[in-house]
Amino acid sequence: MKLSPNTIDELGRREFIANAAKACLGVGLMPMAGSYIHNSVKALTPGARPAAARHVIYLNMSGAMSHLDTFGPKPNNPDIQGPVESIATSADGVILSENLPLTAQHMHNSALIKTMVTSQGAHMQASYLMHTSYLKRGTIVHPTFGSWVSKLSGPINRTIPRNVKIGGGGGGAGFLEAEHGALPIGNPKSGLANSAMASYLDQESFGNRITMAEKLNVNFTAQYQQKQVRAYSNLYKDAIKLMDSDDLNAFDITKEPKAMHDLYGTSNFGQGCLLARRLVENKVRYIEVSRGGWDTHGNNFEAVANNCADVDKALGALLLDLEMRGLLKETLVVLTSEFGRTPNINARDGRDHWPYCFTAFMAGGGVKGGTSYGETDDRGRLPSEGKPIKPEDLNATIAYLLGLPLNDVQYSPSGRPFTVAHKGEPLFDVIA
Amino acid sequence: MVKTSFPLLILIFFSSFLAYGTEPFRVFKTPKGQSFEGQAVGYEGQTFILSNKSGKFFKVPLNALSKEDQTYLISGARLNRIPKGMPTKLPSSSSEPTKAGDGDTVSTKGIDFHSQIMPILVQNCNECHQAPYEKNGRIKKPKAGLRFDNYKMLMQGFGDDPVVIPGDDEGSLLMEVVTLPANDDMIMPPKGDPLSAEQISLLRRWILEGATEKPSGRVVTTAASPTAATAEASDSDEIRKSPPPIKVTFRPGSFFSHVPVLLGVSLEEAMAKAAESKPKPGEPIDFDKHVLPILEERCNDCHHAPFDRSGRLVNPKASLRFDSFVEVMKGNLDGPVIVANDLEKSRLYSVLNLPEDDDLFMPPKGGPVEAEKIDIIKRWISEGAQPSKNSISASKGGIPAPDEPVSFNHHILPLFEKKCLECHGAPYVRNSRTIKPKAGLRLDTYEWVIKGNLDGMIVTPGDHTDSTLYSVVTLDKEDPEIMPPKGGPLVEDEITMIKRWILEGASEKPAATAADPNAAPKLTSAKPVLATTNSKTSILDIISKRLSSPSKSSLKAAEKTGALVRPLSEKSPLVRAEFSSFSSEVQDSNLGAFSGIKNNISHLDVSRTKITDKTLSVAGGYPNLTWISARNTKVSDGGLKYLSKLKFLQYLNLSGTQVSDKGMRDLASIKTLNEIYLWNSKVTESGVEKLRQNLPDAKIIF
Repeated sequence: MKLSPNTIDELGRREFIANAAKACLGVGLMPMAGSYIHNSVKALTPGARPAAARHVIYLNMSGAMSHLDTFGPKPNNPDIQGPVESIATSADGVILSENLPLTAQHMHNSALIKTMVTSQGAHMQASYLMHTSYLKRGTIVHPTFGSWVSKLSGPINRTIPRNVKIGGGGGGAGFLEAEHGALPIGNPKSGLANSAMASYLDQESFGNRITMAEKLNVNFTAQYQQKQVRAYSNLYKDAIKLMDSDDLNAFDITKEPKAMHDLYGTSNFGQGCLLARRLVENKVRYIEVSRGGWDTHGNNFEAVANNCADVDKALGALLLDLEMRGLLKETLVVLTSEFGRTPNINARDGRDHWPYCFTAFMAGGGVKGGTSYGETDDRGRLPSEGKPIKPEDLNATIAYLLGLPLNDVQYSPSGRPFTVAHKGEPLFDVIA
Repeated sequence: MVKTSFPLLILIFFSSFLAYGTEPFRVFKTPKGQSFEGQAVGYEGQTFILSNKSGKFFKVPLNALSKEDQTYLISGARLNRIPKGMPTKLPSSSSEPTKAGDGDTVSTKGIDFHSQIMPILVQNCNECHQAPYEKNGRIKKPKAGLRFDNYKMLMQGFGDDPVVIPGDDEGSLLMEVVTLPANDDMIMPPKGDPLSAEQISLLRRWILEGATEKPSGRVVTTAASPTAATAEASDSDEIRKSPPPIKVTFRPGSFFSHVPVLLGVSLEEAMAKAAESKPKPGEPIDFDKHVLPILEERCNDCHHAPFDRSGRLVNPKASLRFDSFVEVMKGNLDGPVIVANDLEKSRLYSVLNLPEDDDLFMPPKGGPVEAEKIDIIKRWISEGAQPSKNSISASKGGIPAPDEPVSFNHHILPLFEKKCLECHGAPYVRNSRTIKPKAGLRLDTYEWVIKGNLDGMIVTPGDHTDSTLYSVVTLDKEDPEIMPPKGGPLVEDEITMIKRWILEGASEKPAATAADPNAAPKLTSAKPVLATTNSKTSILDIISKRLSSPSKSSLKAAEKTGALVRPLSEKSPLVRAEFSSFSSEVQDSNLGAFSGIKNNISHLDVSRTKITDKTLSVAGGYPNLTWISARNTKVSDGGLKYLSKLKFLQYLNLSGTQVSDKGMRDLASIKTLNEIYLWNSKVTESGVEKLRQNLPDAKIIF
């Protein structure tokens, strides 16, 4: 082997191949982050950085919230704004509608995305896209975002589920294991169904029953000393322990003092937010609280004001309460709806479906407080500044803040690949 | 049973006859008059393996025996009467149940723990899992708290979570870890070869027979366990066969066969080095300059200095070392390999010239040595096989004299070999796992030492105060970052030598003059300013760099009491410890589980538990804590004083606790705090006001 200046100056083998590929094949970059290239590829690798947030409270304004009358007012255009005034907030230069005075006090901890867009204009399909990052298809049921969170973040709590949905249905695990699906709680006031001891049993007779059951099992467990058998009896023990334990109290908002109920409001949504806060304290990863009644095709202004009274009280209380407890820093609160409503006011004093532009609100864990991303045109019709943010981008942002691997592929039973936020890219402008 | 065992008996008897029957029993004597009756069954280098009549092996160094015995053994080895290497078969019949003689009676009684299981544990497990002992002034505790040094401790396992479950081979952790695929992180033993199929089946049978100390009387064949057969089959396929090495050759002049130039070596230097190793016409051959590079390139893979690879001493082949003049001249048991002026007797030269298919042809891999290089060796021998002029080989590995410049190759590298290369060596493959150097730092060549790792360079020529290499070896003995982490710190002479080498310019060749170790460092360039440590992530980054990741077993031990312990991120050595399930049942005592990972805990969440001030006193001993949540606990003012020891604490959540204004004085002294939560505690406005004055930048919520 001779050492000559020529050979030393030669391109490395990889360099050579990369150059050749660039020149001949039109390949600009190696596919390092899956099918899409990102300005911060490293950030997308699983667990590359500590997670900013550990819990998500997702407030779903079901029925499509009017963005103009809540988080994206247009004070200079009374034609489309109607009677709703704007107010200043605790963040410089960020305004909200007068319907949200309590939330306005927390804008320094919060961020707005004003350029949300979606491709779906019907409630069911748009909500599906918002929750799963994928379009609704006949051939597959995609996991909801909470199920992804549960799947990818691993167990935190052995005793209560990682994914809870308060009010409204859905939240299924899709093709993921059923355990990742949301635990549905219809009415926050009644807590977790079927978890309390039956009323006709006292502690002693329950104890007797358990002892009896153990006696009946003793031969079986002695004969089959196997993992599955032990796992089953462990599950049984855990369940009994849970019935007695304080963990179950997480679901019981009657344990909260009256002041708390007053703070959050007695509306279903307010109580749901209170429950959500209790669940965050118990380290549930993902809680969705749903609030319907936003489909304001008629009489928009009165309905929105009514809805906002509940939502503003509950959201303001939630942000305040989390901050006081030192939990806001690691809890991400997101509020959005499946799409927006028309800037034009219709003949019935209402607003119709508008998927081309709406707003999302984020606060807490890892969010760059006091930011407002993007701007819409004068009439609030279309994004004019900043890039349009699709539902999968919003979900990617949430997943990024939770430290979830955006490029972790899970396969459906038919072998098709899916990721937590489809092809969404995190919006780094709202991330601290 | 009888039918099948009969041919087996013959087979075993026959094979043992073949293996050990060649040497008769005789009485060996030492010069001091001690004697030993046995037969020679093998040798490794200058150590002979003798076996006594009961089949036990003894390793005896040759020079411990009398002259007469030495000649006998050497002639035995020369004539191949004594086989080379350690005998592969254990002759002791007691350790193998299927062996001749009492084999049948043993198997009808079941497996005996002491004679059959314990030897496996002694051989494979006890290095790490034994009773605590003292080494270099430090108490070595058994890893993962598991002791396998007697039956009672083995069965105890983790206490309430045993590693051996009688009758359940699948549920026994011990079985699980030894049967993992060889490339699994959790396979035991982690070093050396996995257990053999026989050993695994013996263990499995013992567990299935009830894992008793005395033979249980139950006899279980391995087939009784449904998974046993398949597991064994896959074991023997997956674990034991190493893939045959692929020989890659490129034709000369090929794109792929150019000489690689190491990073950090300039083109000129590489060229000069290559040119220097070729003698000019008429120039006398110099050993260090001309011969040693050839030996280094073609021979030192096998004929190297003995080195320690993960606890095992790797000896040079045929006891021949070609790494320095002195060693080359020493030769081995068979005599010298270099005889000055005599090419025929110089075996180093003759093996190079054998036909390539000869068994003794050297080098056995990588093709023959090129003719011009053989010629250099030939010339060197003919010129009298002299050592280099001005050679400093004599002082290799030692401490240079105060007026002698420090040589990297002769002083620094030997020290690294002794103290650092176990962790900071070249990556190598063990059990089909690639073992990479720790911290991505290699110290095995000059180029790597100068290159440093991802954190930057470890040597700043001329300035030892800025050289990480110097600072880590001079840390306080108790500091967790001190290097080497095991085996005691470097002695003062060695530290001074490193300091001098850096002061002399940290070059590969010795400097012209020796440096005064007490002189002030020469600054060569402006130092880059260290990143400021104000944001949370950067503090975590800085702490992470100083730490190594906790082992899986220590994480598992930490989770014993129901805690959830997870790394902050995938590669981070820092962990967050919290009690997420049944938190209302957690007490002060539960924190004991964290003792093994206390350096790694950066986030501690004990909120809503039954802990008291005692826990804060324990947490005060976790040096890298940045985040504590003791929300809704009984913590009071008394506990806060312990936190003042924490150097990185940033977040403290005391909402819903008993702390009052009195405790704020202790908090005021923790200047790193930037978030304090005191809502729902007994702290009043005036207490918070005082705290705000002391910590003006902190966010205080009450």
